[in-house]
Order: sequence, then structure tokens, then C-alpha cells
Amino acid sequence: MPLVNTRVFFSKRDRAKYISHLDLAGVMQRAIKRAALPVWYTEGYNPRMYTQFMLPLSLGQESLREAVDMRLLEQLPYSEVAERMNDALPGDIRVTEVGVPVFKNTDIAAAEYEITGELDFGQFREFVGREHIPAEKKTKKGVSELDLKQHILFVEVSDKITIRLPAGVDFNINPQLVLDAFSALTGSTAAGSHILRTKILTKNGEEFR
Amino acid sequence: MLYKNLEMMKKLDEFLPEIQKPARYIGGETGSVMKDKSEVDVRFAFCFPDTYEIGMSHLGMKILYALKNNVPNYWCERVFMPLPDMTEQMRRRGIPLYALESLDPVSEFDFVGFTIQYELCYTTILEMLDLAGIPVLAEDRKSLTPIVVGGGPCVCNAEPLCDFFDIFVLGEGEEVNLELMALMERCKKENSTKEEFLKLAAKIEGIYVPSLYNVEYNENGTVKAITHAPDAPETVRKRIIRDFDKVYAPENFVVPFCDIVHNRAVVEVLRGCIRGCRFCQAGFIYRPFREKSKDTIISQTKTLCQNTGYDEVSLSSLSTSDFSDIEGLLSGLCEYTSKNRINLSLPSLRVDRFSEEVFQKINDVRKSGLTFAPEAGTQRLRDVINKNITEQNVLDSVKIAFEGGYTAVKLYFMLGLPTETDDDIRGIYDLAKQVVEQFYANPDRKKGKSPSVSVSLSTFIPKPFTPFEFEPQDSEEEIRRKQKLLMDYASDRKITFSRSKYEVSLLEAVLARGDRRVGKAVYLAWKKGCFLDGWDEFFSFEKWKEAFSECGLEMSFYANRRREYDEIAPWSHMDFLVSKEFLISENKKAHEGKPTPNCREKCSNCGVASKTGGEICRAVG
Repeated sequence: MPLVNTRVFFSKRDRAKYISHLDLAGVMQRAIKRAALPVWYTEGYNPRMYTQFMLPLSLGQESLREAVDMRLLEQLPYSEVAERMNDALPGDIRVTEVGVPVFKNTDIAAAEYEITGELDFGQFREFVGREHIPAEKKTKKGVSELDLKQHILFVEVSDKITIRLPAGVDFNINPQLVLDAFSALTGSTAAGSHILRTKILTKNGEEFR
Repeated sequence: MLYKNLEMMKKLDEFLPEIQKPARYIGGETGSVMKDKSEVDVRFAFCFPDTYEIGMSHLGMKILYALKNNVPNYWCERVFMPLPDMTEQMRRRGIPLYALESLDPVSEFDFVGFTIQYELCYTTILEMLDLAGIPVLAEDRKSLTPIVVGGGPCVCNAEPLCDFFDIFVLGEGEEVNLELMALMERCKKENSTKEEFLKLAAKIEGIYVPSLYNVEYNENGTVKAITHAPDAPETVRKRIIRDFDKVYAPENFVVPFCDIVHNRAVVEVLRGCIRGCRFCQAGFIYRPFREKSKDTIISQTKTLCQNTGYDEVSLSSLSTSDFSDIEGLLSGLCEYTSKNRINLSLPSLRVDRFSEEVFQKINDVRKSGLTFAPEAGTQRLRDVINKNITEQNVLDSVKIAFEGGYTAVKLYFMLGLPTETDDDIRGIYDLAKQVVEQFYANPDRKKGKSPSVSVSLSTFIPKPFTPFEFEPQDSEEEIRRKQKLLMDYASDRKITFSRSKYEVSLLEAVLARGDRRVGKAVYLAWKKGCFLDGWDEFFSFEKWKEAFSECGLEMSFYANRRREYDEIAPWSHMDFLVSKEFLISENKKAHEGKPTPNCREKCSNCGVASKTGGEICRAVG
């Protein structure tokens, strides 16, 4: 029987924002088991339910657009998959869309975020208008210096911030890094702000599907 | 509308991302019960005085949580002990201890209930009350609510905790918890005082109201008399469930977001134990022996696995292999679990019941290590403690395990058991050595592999309601001498030893058999900063020593003294169904080195059957 590659999009909000990326797999797999969906398990000595998550979300950040791939053993109506999963998931994780994977994981190039909360937006507007925004990015290899200004793909500031940043397997800018740089350079606090991921985008600026 | 404390949520959002594993402090897990606060009459904050990871692994809490929440107008929520990075922030920001469902402060609840599973959690209870802004001393709490209530095995001698609690629940909580909540519902409607509530509560079987009892002491420090108020019974008898097959079992668990110690479905198969190992408190205080039927267990397993989505289920009891139809049960379960890709795990197997068939069943699961608990090194001493397994039993089981591909075996022993001699100590190593030899006796063993046998040595702790409640605990010098004796005797490098800290065992012994005066020391130790004493990184024996000396109490009086049979025990107004005469006769038999047959072979008249009308205990026939 052919396996049905299936991509599930979901939101992760409120209390669920404290589920770490590592723990999310367990939460999702138990939900799939509760929903009794016929899914594929890896083969070998220690078979595991196959799930693959795109683009880790930092602990404490919320998202409207998360994605996980799984393989169904039979073709089910996508609406039914969504419904059964929503019945089984904790209330703060909601499946928003189920479909055939269109893009590959490696096609992800950017993500869009909405930042709200107690933040001096006027000052932030000035901050992103600077010529250079030096910041330190921690990677596995150590700390590297970079100019955030070059990496902000889009930004709009009103009573909230909409910002588009590089994302994906190769290069990723966490919006928290921008907020940290804002605090460090202006002395203004960003402690009371919320980060919400709203979109995942491909190289061509298309919505990741 | 389902209630949610948004204000608290907002406060927590300000700093939770900075906290280690914040998912522990936020609730909202699948299976957690949310209610409409306006339709709730009685609220119960169920506190586990240890971390989330430990408390969330505990079956008793899951049972009572689901049971209480089944009543529409009662709401039971969970509370655990936060770790210092969290408590520091809470204190700095003025956030009191809150419950994980509503996020409401614990002080707003009608009941603040603690399950008291081990002695080393006593100071954590005080720390949690204090974090909640609730006065830790019962006498400082004047209003009807919150009532601070305790249950669990340690309340068989709750005397060291009497200063802090209003009520204790003795025995099995399934029925009495609901009775207590019904009483609160009534008392709140009638605007009763706390005193009125307590007097009414004392009339419920299984409820101990410590303030209605007075303890006098002899000059030598022993208890002279325990007197009771007219509203309270002379002795408080523990509650038991008469029809265990019908006892409430949760159909769902709160499934945590993060990993915990035992992250799996758990199904209880039996209560009580037929064995009567003389050191084991659980083996006596959980009597009578009762089983669920095979069909009940299988159906509960299916329901729980379906509702939780867990891929592992564990059978829970004091000794699962004593289930009368264990092989039938395992066959029935495996049929379901293997089809649904669920692992079946079986803790608490006895070596003498470790048959090839049972082994095959657990073999499907995971090949990690196997654990056996011979407890003592020689047959003589195993007869003394009534651990009725032979060396041959151990070696036979180990043989099956090695043949099945296991290479690591863990052996549990105790040091300091009554009548122990140096030969018994050396016997521990001799037995471990024979286990190693058993590996090499297997002709099919994998070449190039060597076995690893780890010997875990704990210190014997005499506990109330066991035949050893009269026994002294070995002194520190004696335990150290015995440990050294064993280390000097041991030579095989394939055998490794781990030892428990003597100070911890001593404190456990003191608290287990302490009287009301010990409460002062608990209070002072907490004041000095003790909490989570069961955790190595937080335990400070220095602070405990200071606390005891400041209130003029000797630890050795409680731990290292032989108690006469006719001494009034601090817990003698507690009735756990097993008679004192039986405990004395078992103690005498221990000193004569005579074992007692298990309850299935022959009833030894422990007192439980006669007190419960003889119909409930299912050990025989």
C-alpha cells in the first residue's frame, strides 16, 4: 500500500508556547495515537512513529503556522484528519490545515513574526532605521558578529511590529535576537513583548505549504 | 465558561521563558480538568510535596484527581513544589503558590491536601504552605478554609506533622475524600466554624483530627498516655475499599507536556501483599490483599491507553507476579499491547515467580537491566526478615535473564537488618559473585561480553506497623564498619557497589517513628532552609542536627533505641487493621530465625481478616 505523505499545519499558543521543541514530538505523537490515525512507523530494531517537524520555534514564542509531516497508511479526507487531531490535541494547539506537502523542508527561507506588548514602538522604528544594527549571534561554533540590518527582509511598525527574518535549516535569525539588540543599543526594555510567528515563506516569498 | 486566571497567566508570561522547563509550571496539559468556577462549590488543591516530574508519576494522585473531578461541583487541581529558580522569581514578584489548572492561589482553596509518600518530604510541605502564604501552624489558621489535610503511607504515624495539619486521612482515599468534600460543602453553606467542621470530620471513619488528641510523656521520653476529646474516637481505623474490582479507576490521565520520571499509563492490578516481609511497611499497612479481575485490568488498560495516547503501560502493585492468574493476564494484555505498538512494563516482579513465560512477555519490551531484591546475603537472614526466596530462586531467574540476552543485573540489599552478623555481610558479595558465575555458565553467551552486577546497599530503616517497629537502627559507626567489611571482602571488578547516605537513612528513621515533639525539629529545620530533603543537592544534615539539638531532642532516642513490646508507640491510636499481637509474634519469630508462610499458603491471623469481617481479604482461595 502506498504511504500518503501528509503535512499538518497547526498553531501553538498560550500555555502551549512553553512546550519545548524536543517535547513537542511526544505531545504530537500521543495526540496522533489518541486520534487513532493510521500512521507509518519507522522500520528497524526500534520502530518509532514517523513525524518530522519544520523550523523549531523558541520556547515562549507563539505561532499561527507550525508544520509537521507524517505518513498515513491510507488516504483519509484531510478535514477528517484535522478534526480527529483537534479532538485529541491540547486546547492551545490547533490544527489549521492538512494537505499534501508542496515544498521541501529545505525550501524554507524566511518567516514572518508579529511582535506586540509593552514596547516603545516609536523608538523601535528609529532603531530599525539605523544604518547598521550590530548583534552577536550564538551558534554551535561560538559567537559570531553580524549586522542585523542586512537580514531584516521586511519590517513595519505601528502599534505592533511585523518583521520578516531569514529562517530555515541553513541560516536562521531568531526575532528575540532583534529584540535583544534593540534593548542593548537603546537601553529600552523589550521584556513585556510577545512574539508570534505568522508565516513561513520560501525563497520566492511564497507561503510554505 | 471554563475559568482561566488571565491576570496570573500574564504575570507568569513575564518570566517563565527564563525558567528551566517552564512547561512544569503552566498546566494546560491534555487531560487536565478545567471547570466553570461559578458552578464549583468545593475546591481541592492536591499538593504533591516534590517536583512536577516526581508527583506527576504518582498513580494515587491521578486516581483521586479524576475521582473528585467526576463530581460536577467539585474541582480538584494539582500543585507541585517548584525548584529554586522558580520560587526565587515567585517570591520576588509576589506570586503565591498557585494551582496548575485555574492558576488561582492555593490559599483560595477549601482544601489544601498533601499526599505524604515519604518522610523526607516533610519540610517541603511547610515550604509549599509558606509559598502559598498559608500559615504553616494549624493553630494559626482560624477560618473554616483552607483545611490542610494529609494522606498517604506516612500518616500511619503522622505525629511529627500534627502541628501543621488539621486532618489526616488514613488508608485508601477513594470513598473518604468525597465524604470529606461533601462535609465541606455542607459546612460552607451553614457558615460553620473550623472547630465545628473538625468535630464532624472526626466522626467519619478514617479521619484523624490531631488537635482532638493529647499526648503525655514519661520522664524517660516515651509516651505515657494518649487521650482523646469526647468528639473523637479512641483509635482511628484506616479506610479500605471493600469491593476492589469495582474501585474507581481513572479513564484518563493528565498527560504532561514535558518528560517526567514515569511518563506512561499505569494500571493498578492488586492492593496489599501476601508476602509479609518483616521490614516492609507497605506489606502491612496496605493489607488486606485484593485483586482486580483479569477482565477489569485488561479493559482499564485499553481505555487508559486510548485516552492518553501513551505508548507504554505499566502494571502497578506491590508484587505484580503474585497476581493469581499472572500468565493469563499477561497473555491477554500482550494481545492488545503488541497489536497497538504499546510497551508493557512490569516492575515489582518477585524472583521466585520469574518464570520463562513471564520473561518472554517482558522480553518483548526493552532489554535494559534487570533488578532483583534478595535484601539479605544469607538464607539465615532472609528467614529472619521473612523474604522467602532462596539463593536458587535468584540464580534460576538470573540464568533465564542471561540466556535471554541480558548482561546487566542490579541486586538490592539492606545493611543493618536485625540479628545481622559479619557472615551475612560477606554473603552479599558471595551471592553477587555467584550471579557473575551464572553468566559464564551459559554456553551460548555472547563472546567478548562480560556481565555487570551492581549491588545497591541501603540502610535498614525500622518503620511503624511492621514487626521491626521495635528494632533499633544500626549506629553510624556500625554501618560504616559493615560497609568497609564488605568492600574489603569484595574483589571481583564486575561487581560494583553503591551505598545510601547514612544521614538520610537516620533522618528517615527518626521521622518515621517520631512523636509530636519531633514536629518542632521539622519546623526549625524548615526555618533554617531545609526543603526537598530527598534531593542530594538540597539535603543538609547539618541544619537538621542543629534543629534537633535546639529543641532538646536526640535523634538516637527515635532511631537507635530498642523499644519494649509494652511501650506505648506514638502511633498507638492509629488502627491499620494489623494487630499489635501479630507484630510482636512476628518480631519474636524473626529473632528465632523462623519464616512465616505467605498469606496464600496459610492465613497467619494478622488481624485484618477478623477486623474486616473475613470477606475482604482475598489472599487465601
